[in-house]
Amino acid sequence: MAPWMASGLIYASGLALTAGSITLLYITTRTFNFAVASMATWGFMLAYTGVSLYGGTPYVYLPLVFIAGSLLGLIAYYGLNRHLLRRNAAEITLMMSTLGYDLILLSIVQMFADYLTLTYKLYPRRVMLSAHDFQLFGERAAAFILPVIAIGLLVALHIFLTKTKFGIAMRATIENPVLAGASGINPDRVYMISWVISGGMSAIGGAAMAMAITGTPVMGMNTIPLMFAGAILGGLHSLYGGILGGFMIGLTEYAGVFYLSREIGPWIQGYRMGIPLILMAATLLLFPRGLAGIPWAKLFGNLFSRKRGDN
Amino acid sequence: MSAVAKTERKAPRLIGIRELVLLAIIIALLSFFIFSGREKTIWAIVFEFSIFAIITLSLNLETGFTGIPQFGRVAAVITGAFAVGALPGRLMAYIIGEPWGAEYANAVFNYRIVPVINELLASNIFYSIGFLLLCLFTAAVFGAAIGWLISRPAIRLKEAYLGISLLAFGDFFMWVGHNWNIMVGGSTPINVPDPFRIFGGDRFMAAVLVLFFIAIVIYIYLERLTKSPFGRNLKMIRDNEVSASAAGLDVVKVRTRSLVIGSAIAAMGGGLYVIYTGSIGAIGFQKLTFTFWPWAYMMLGGIGSNFGVLMGVMLLVILKTMIIVFRYDWFAFMVNVGIDPMWLEFTLMGAVIVLVILFVPHGLVPEKVEPVLPEERVKRVLAKRQLEKTSEPVS
Amino acid sequence: MLRIRNLNSGYGKLQVLYNLDIDVPTKGLTVVVGPNGAGKTTLLCSIMGIARVFSGDILYEDKSIAGKLTHTLAQKGISYVPQMGNVFAELSVLDNLQMAGYLSKKEDAKAKAEQMTEIFPVLKKFIHRKAGTLSGGERRMLAIAMGLMKDPKLMLLDELSTDLAPIIAEKVMMEVSRLRDELGITILMVEQMAKRALEIGDTAYLLVSGEVRYTGKADELLNEPELCSMYLGIKQADDKGSSFTLSATDEGSDQG
Ligand SMILES: Nc1ncnc2c1ncn2[C@@H]1O[C@H](COP(=O)(O)OP(=O)(O)OP(=O)(O)O)[C@@H](O)[C@H]1O
Ligand SMILES: [Mg+2]
Repeated sequence: MAPWMASGLIYASGLALTAGSITLLYITTRTFNFAVASMATWGFMLAYTGVSLYGGTPYVYLPLVFIAGSLLGLIAYYGLNRHLLRRNAAEITLMMSTLGYDLILLSIVQMFADYLTLTYKLYPRRVMLSAHDFQLFGERAAAFILPVIAIGLLVALHIFLTKTKFGIAMRATIENPVLAGASGINPDRVYMISWVISGGMSAIGGAAMAMAITGTPVMGMNTIPLMFAGAILGGLHSLYGGILGGFMIGLTEYAGVFYLSREIGPWIQGYRMGIPLILMAATLLLFPRGLAGIPWAKLFGNLFSRKRGDN
Repeated sequence: MSAVAKTERKAPRLIGIRELVLLAIIIALLSFFIFSGREKTIWAIVFEFSIFAIITLSLNLETGFTGIPQFGRVAAVITGAFAVGALPGRLMAYIIGEPWGAEYANAVFNYRIVPVINELLASNIFYSIGFLLLCLFTAAVFGAAIGWLISRPAIRLKEAYLGISLLAFGDFFMWVGHNWNIMVGGSTPINVPDPFRIFGGDRFMAAVLVLFFIAIVIYIYLERLTKSPFGRNLKMIRDNEVSASAAGLDVVKVRTRSLVIGSAIAAMGGGLYVIYTGSIGAIGFQKLTFTFWPWAYMMLGGIGSNFGVLMGVMLLVILKTMIIVFRYDWFAFMVNVGIDPMWLEFTLMGAVIVLVILFVPHGLVPEKVEPVLPEERVKRVLAKRQLEKTSEPVS
Repeated sequence: MLRIRNLNSGYGKLQVLYNLDIDVPTKGLTVVVGPNGAGKTTLLCSIMGIARVFSGDILYEDKSIAGKLTHTLAQKGISYVPQMGNVFAELSVLDNLQMAGYLSKKEDAKAKAEQMTEIFPVLKKFIHRKAGTLSGGERRMLAIAMGLMKDPKLMLLDELSTDLAPIIAEKVMMEVSRLRDELGITILMVEQMAKRALEIGDTAYLLVSGEVRYTGKADELLNEPELCSMYLGIKQADDKGSSFTLSATDEGSDQG
């Protein structure tokens, strides 16, 4: 692997999960979930607390992290989002409400960090979670495990959405809430489940990200623009686009910083955030609907049609 | 359903009382500081109020009146702060023959040059006033420029896309300032010349009064601007872009103007903040402080209501200050387990946003709903159109 | 089965319906006709809890359902075939049928779906295709099939015949009256093919600008030449009348 690749893959997996979770929630509830920031931070914080207090690798704690994230999602849904959706609130209102929730979660995570410091003598304000990782094929194991987890979750989600009755009902509600309601599908349930899934994904994404970058209580707050950038790059209307967008954002940042600092100089490090932003801006300029708006079928159309002709 | 109609009917009658009650609460809270022997804190409150009133009013112009989801308020604030931190001081250094290039932003030189400039400024009241005005002007010019830049994508992108792009670029701006050493010192804060030095020991009080005065001037300006025909155009675009452009409004132009004015004002807020604190460190310009808090202020006060914004800023600044001042008295139980009650500031901010959205979506002082055009003007416009129509075939 | 009393409703702040009184007798076929924009769709939306009810009451089986959530009404046995957006374009035809039978057991839904593909053989042909790729008429058939999937007590049908070829439209009309006669389903139908609908209907309401203009026996409305020509574009005693011009004039009324 190229030197940047291991970290890049880990980081990109985290971004993919968070961007995917933003997209999932947006297509179901029209809500741009700002709280992904602190949900991700909570994911990291819990994984860190786990390894520090009870040992083991961070992976062991991922199921717990997922459940915690889901709980945070449930609280957000029943405490906030549900009422606003019933009221048919504007998109910006929905987004602001999650920002409020995010700030509350942020303050609690900060307090939790203080508490860990005094009570357990831990220092969660500058964490290298990768120190608890193990080696695999001469690389950090996370570089293999986390992309697999990200893609595995995507596949599981795909199967859920296309093969199970409730999953199809979810897609039906996303497409046409009125008709879905008239068919007897309870949209409340659909929204609730998407908050659960997306909360869990965000938390895992946060834990994943902290395997590549320094974990702090404001980690999510600092990376949220990139998570959104991933979702936007993916076009916001397709879950797969969102996950792909997250991967692209993460990988471009790492690859870009690596090659640019070799070419131009290490000072570029400080502006690393600009690389994915330029990618996002360029994509939006060319394809206002993001990656999902690229006419893939047209690009590969010739290939397919030739195939069909052969048969 | 009938309840909705009832409150709507009641609202205009209540508004006068509502504002009085708010003012009474604010005065009561402020006197609480006086009675507990912390008069000094009030100066700090007025300072914060002034800065954030300026910034939040500018946010209200863009978001409340124009409907642009400005989640990148910090970008314009930073621009103003950087401009004031980097340029007027350099000009002064150039005039008095000190190094003004990249060295100016180097702490070693900077800490030596700035006191020299300060001495010069303190020697003459006109120098001080001139410097202050120069700073404001610089901030406004750069703010307006950045507002114009932002307006380019803002015309094309839709609501949430725009909000998020603005958010991302706000963050990016901070990193640029943090890393670009030769502008304002990057990660090492540098000093900014102080036009208030002339007041000697009363420097801080004088500065606070001047800031307060500027905030009130900006409030009056914006109040008049939003009540002018331009303000009505803004609201028309906000409420229905399609019908506004169908009515012949140049949506792009009006929006651009709103962003330019709003960003210029926000930049002045950032510049004043830097002047008051006397130093600039890029990392201090976080979106939490300069984007999200203003949003919370605006939402509490009432989106689209300038007076409401003032009330919102005042109330929350007081509450925030109370948390900080009384944290060891009131939140000892947290301190005992090692938790810094300072974090409650974020809890407050988040809770305000959530509660306002759930329970008082229009804020404490809701925007007064006025007819977009007074009836008389509608008649006049119609008459004019009629005239134009009849005169057309002649020409 | 359904009684609407003094209904005022609309969308957001916009009021569309004014003081509506409508009775849908059990096992009857009630027809609502009226010009475009009269509020016919809004009436069905108000019943389904999609539009906003400002005041008045909607009684279903003697219980008020005004303001109830849509999916709970579906659970109570009301099936609604909307005028627009009546299929899930992103889902396959089979998934569409499955979703329509969301409330029934899996085997029941399967059997029912089978039955539907027998009634509408076109659907069988395209069973795995995305509904969004179907033609207008095929889509409408799918929508009707979806409405029938639910074994409803009350069916709300919004402009079934639109998009359909005259022969198929006629077949659909026959199917609707068969639903009433053989299965005993109560039906509230909005229809542009006014003449045909009034012929098969029991009671009729003429809706104009959100208000009821006519209440009474369906076929008697056809004897009101003024109302018919003004609002429904039905010309009386047209000599050229044959089974073909029947549908032709009705097509014309689509624009009127
Ligand atoms: N979702 C909506 N929001 C706002 N107004 C609406 C909405 N749906 C319909 N209207 C308005 O309500 C009025 C009645 O519309 P409705 O769809 O009920 O008419 P209709 O009788 O079904 O007409 P058609 O025969 O064309 O289907 C129209 O003026 C329409 O513009
Ligand atoms: Mg209709």
